Amino acid sequence: MGGKRRNSERGAMEEYGDDVELDKKDKKKKMEKEKRREILPSMIKNKEKRSAVHAKLKHEKKVEKRKKLKARDAEEKRALELGEEPLPRKIPRTIENTRENDETVCKPDDEELFACNDTDEFSSIIKRERTPKILITTSRFNSTRGPAFISELLEVIPNAHYYKRGTYDLKKIVEYAKKQDFTSLIVVHTKRREPDALLIIGLPDGPTAHFKLSRLVLRKDIKNHGNPTSHEPELVLTNFTTRLGHHTGSYIFETKESKTSDSKGKKGKDGKGEKISQQKVIARLQECGPRFTLKLRSLQHGTFDTKGGEYEWVHKPEMDTSRRRFFL
Amino acid sequence: MPRTTTLVCPGCPPLRALTFDSLGLIKGIPQVVERWGDPDSSKCVLAASIDDRKKDPLLAVARKNGEVEAVNPLNGEIHAVFSNVGEDGVQPEDDAFSGLHLFRRERPSGSCTLLTCTSKGNASMRSIQVEKSTSDSASISVTKTWKVCGSGNVLCSKVDGSENYVVFGGKGVEVNLWDLEDSTKIWTAKPPPKNSLGIFTPTWFTCTTFQSNDDHRKFVAGTNSHQVHLYDISAQRRPVLSFDFRETAIKAATEDQDGHTIYIGNGSGDLASFDMRTGKLLGCFIGKCSGSIRSIARHPELPVIASCGLDSYLRLWDIKTRQLLSAVFLKQHLTNVVFDSNIVDKEVAAQNVNEIQTTEVQTEDEMGTLPIKRKKASKETREKKKRSGESEETIVLKSKKKSRKHKREIGDDS
Repeated sequence: MGGKRRNSERGAMEEYGDDVELDKKDKKKKMEKEKRREILPSMIKNKEKRSAVHAKLKHEKKVEKRKKLKARDAEEKRALELGEEPLPRKIPRTIENTRENDETVCKPDDEELFACNDTDEFSSIIKRERTPKILITTSRFNSTRGPAFISELLEVIPNAHYYKRGTYDLKKIVEYAKKQDFTSLIVVHTKRREPDALLIIGLPDGPTAHFKLSRLVLRKDIKNHGNPTSHEPELVLTNFTTRLGHHTGSYIFETKESKTSDSKGKKGKDGKGEKISQQKVIARLQECGPRFTLKLRSLQHGTFDTKGGEYEWVHKPEMDTSRRRFFL
Repeated sequence: MPRTTTLVCPGCPPLRALTFDSLGLIKGIPQVVERWGDPDSSKCVLAASIDDRKKDPLLAVARKNGEVEAVNPLNGEIHAVFSNVGEDGVQPEDDAFSGLHLFRRERPSGSCTLLTCTSKGNASMRSIQVEKSTSDSASISVTKTWKVCGSGNVLCSKVDGSENYVVFGGKGVEVNLWDLEDSTKIWTAKPPPKNSLGIFTPTWFTCTTFQSNDDHRKFVAGTNSHQVHLYDISAQRRPVLSFDFRETAIKAATEDQDGHTIYIGNGSGDLASFDMRTGKLLGCFIGKCSGSIRSIARHPELPVIASCGLDSYLRLWDIKTRQLLSAVFLKQHLTNVVFDSNIVDKEVAAQNVNEIQTTEVQTEDEMGTLPIKRKKASKETREKKKRSGESEETIVLKSKKKSRKHKREIGDDS
């Protein structure tokens, strides 16, 4: 290798001597060579040295970034003192704010949407004609974190009742719950002693949603957690914008009046709908509920029926072709 | 009042489809979305049938509240309405419509014949006489009524191409064929035998269709246990051919004009075409369809099918390539789709200025395409020539470079 390079260099030098036109080309070549000679940490074969160089580079980058931030802050401060308008801060591009354009996103002036909302399966609950009453049960086998999770859910969700699963079929349980005037049925599915799925069935004929449950943190493990009181929880729903999202959001959560990480004011908040800012009372928020992530797997039309059921939406692998596509 | 919005469907030939949804709205697509009717969940459309002949087309719609409407498919004008509520005190919720057919054979203008079937199995033939001047004075006479089944629910019905025979099937009802002339049952299927474990699958047919337009003896039925059966009444009472399709209930089936292809849609949004001579899967229609397919329609002339369902998209597919041509989001759960085949005539008939303009533009385009094509062809030939010339040049250049290299090497050596 080395011999060859030297050879070509010598050749280049010779040409430099007699040909003027080739001058520019040679300069370019030299630049390229210099670039090649710049040592990247990944090119070093000794691990110790490589990691040392890498650490050094990283530290330099960090220092530079800190400097940049400091400069920006100073600039802003100066602008404030002078009474000028500070430069607008750059908004980072995230996959959420660069999400793919979706035609199913609900527009606020859509009269068909309101008509649909007025007539769907849970309109009576949202209008407060029916009080929500929830039955919570489990899969056949249930242990360790499952019961703990359910007990926390029972404390957070008002008017929730736990029933032992026993050996009943889920379809029979649905029939029973319909007779007892329950408005929804939650099945916590446990696998390997860890809750991993949530099935929420609207009654009497509402849809059935199947969720994957992950990243469950119980109250005990949340740092600086609060304890639930007898207040009715308030619901905060954001970013359920598409038709499907609207449907799931309104159905699963509004009817249950609970949400993933439940936050509640400590002071002067007794009724639902009264917002903290309206009351002008300084409230401290403390997290008290179980914290978890849900991912919708399927939304079924009608109650639980895996064999002959019709799906309103099923997650299929062919839909996952872009990270910037959101279905809810 | 009809509301209209413009809509662009790229890659779609000019055609017109009508969709019916769970809020009782009728929407005409594409180019312009027209909406007829006010949203009301009690008016959910359960069945629809169209007679799309050139002169005096008619559309029949059966609703959840027990009403059947005869509608003009051009402008949504209601010709006649009748209701089956109040006949022997049946609530429409208990005895909903499961089938509707508008007869296409020769009818005098202003009148039509309808076959309706309810889920309890009450089938009836009605003839409607519509006075042109006043739509109120529609006289409805029930010509024939009969009971299809004693127990169970009728879920599907289909009239064959000659409109002399009708097939019924449902939950607990084996598929059976009726002669419409004297309303007698000709043939009933036998339930399939128990399997090797001795387990009997209960009868639950969800969709039926005849295999071809001119043969009433062969028909296809889809079941809730995701099976597709082909019956031949001249052969045997059990299915001649039967195969499984995926894991959810078959919800829609439609035949093709070629007489052996069947399009099948199921509860989790899979759409596929099958060759019924062999029972082989020809191919699936893949396009991120995620909701149950409720209805499939085949265009009478163009090689296009439309599917719609609970994901509230109307999708248009090419038959040959099985590619998605376009998808239209229609906001509601769709229950039915039909094609309006003679669109150009109707535009003229409707005398809508805009539409006429659009057609004119289209015709101009068509006129314009031919010379353009020729030009393209000539250009291409020229380009080819150019390319060939270029390639020669490049070859020459290469040879020059080579010669230079040679020189250099020689210089190095020296």
